[in-house]
Amino acid sequence: MTQVGIAEAQVLDALRSVMDPDLHKDIVSLGFIRNMKIEGGVVSFDVNLTTPACPVKDRLREQSRQAVLAVPGVTDARVNMTAEVRRPPAPSTAALQNVKNIVAVGSGKGGVGKSTVAANIAASLARSGARVGLLDADIYGPSIPIMMRSGRPAEPRADNVIEPGDAHGVKVMSMGYLTPGDQPLIWRGPMAHKAVQQSLLGVNWGELDYLIVDLPPGTGDVHLTLVQTVPVTGGVIVSTPQDVGLQISMKTLRMFQQTKVPILGIVENMSYYVCPHCGGSDDLFGHGGAEEAAKAMGVPFLGSIPLDPAIRKASDEGTPVVIAEPGSKSGQAMADVTGALARQVSIRAFRNVTLSIVEE
Amino acid sequence: MTAVPALLPDQTTPVEVRKKGGERITIRWADGHESVYPARTLRGRCPCAQCVNESTGERLVFEEHVNPDVSILEARTVGHYALHFDWSDGHTTGIYSFDYLRRICPCASCAGRAA
Repeated sequence: MTQVGIAEAQVLDALRSVMDPDLHKDIVSLGFIRNMKIEGGVVSFDVNLTTPACPVKDRLREQSRQAVLAVPGVTDARVNMTAEVRRPPAPSTAALQNVKNIVAVGSGKGGVGKSTVAANIAASLARSGARVGLLDADIYGPSIPIMMRSGRPAEPRADNVIEPGDAHGVKVMSMGYLTPGDQPLIWRGPMAHKAVQQSLLGVNWGELDYLIVDLPPGTGDVHLTLVQTVPVTGGVIVSTPQDVGLQISMKTLRMFQQTKVPILGIVENMSYYVCPHCGGSDDLFGHGGAEEAAKAMGVPFLGSIPLDPAIRKASDEGTPVVIAEPGSKSGQAMADVTGALARQVSIRAFRNVTLSIVEE
Repeated sequence: MTAVPALLPDQTTPVEVRKKGGERITIRWADGHESVYPARTLRGRCPCAQCVNESTGERLVFEEHVNPDVSILEARTVGHYALHFDWSDGHTTGIYSFDYLRRICPCASCAGRAA
């Protein structure tokens, strides 16, 4: 039916020049173009917007028309504007009703040992007899599978529910499981949003006392999805003693505050160096910076964790140091931080009243 | 833009949220204040990117643009920090943080310093 040789691909290419001003993407990539028909030189199609109340509807219609008319051979372009309100995925928290506490672990920047701390907190809580889940939501560098040596969970069941892996008594789910092998996750915001929701609500967590969520470094999409999908009990911030690390950690603190996630406390990681030969300590990056900042901000300080090769080694071998060497200085430090955290969670549990909307 | 006075935690912490059919939402705050939001007022203050220009902050959809009969089909909480509404006109994208809701309290004593 394209005797004059107008290919659909040509028309789509032309339409790629039309951008949605709100979504900052072209209308082809956004999947707005529907029902394209090419009859002779006449091209007709629908532009399916996300809201019928789109304030730029007429502008998009005209831009689309002009773009298609510029394709050689096109004599007329008929643009039909339609709309379908894409519902934000319903924050149905029913699936997590059996999870008593959701604790988010964040940091201002990468490389401060956030995942190591999260893995140790989870393992330590499990060791204390609690039912614990660990969700590795770090889409940029999911490292929990290595640190916990947890196997990839089985394929989703028929009802699309994923069974979490199990390691050191902790139920484990990682963003890293969502792609095959060593492939990186190269996602735009909406993809990350969907994956985080699936990892929260689409995993058979069962009854949990604590679900520890290892956030990506910084502030962004994943954090917002988390707080919008489930009621987060509180947030933990992992920082190094250095000022620069702390300055950035403050941003994470403000992010938690702005989304009304109570701050459970700050952990100072790489606080001091324990010499593996003599057992002596040295303050490589300074010491106590996080504690001072916590005091200044009026949030709890949960403890200091040394920069200890044993922690790194235990993590690389897939057994958190609280399990591998519970009696060591580092193992004890991790256990102390976990205890301080659990205490803050309990305090919150009494203070937090679940808000519901009542019909009058 | 004039500086917006900071709100105290009690002023932005809801202790009760009530919904009367589709017509209004009432929030009682920790400081004892009560805010009553008629549906149309609330719809006309939607903070989403379709109703407010993201980069300039300029409001695009005002109360007078909203159907006088607009009603709330569904209201739900968003985490601990906000409310979300499904409107009878098909709009669903606004997330109203409690900070924002307190700032737009339409009562006579608050309205003077609204955001």
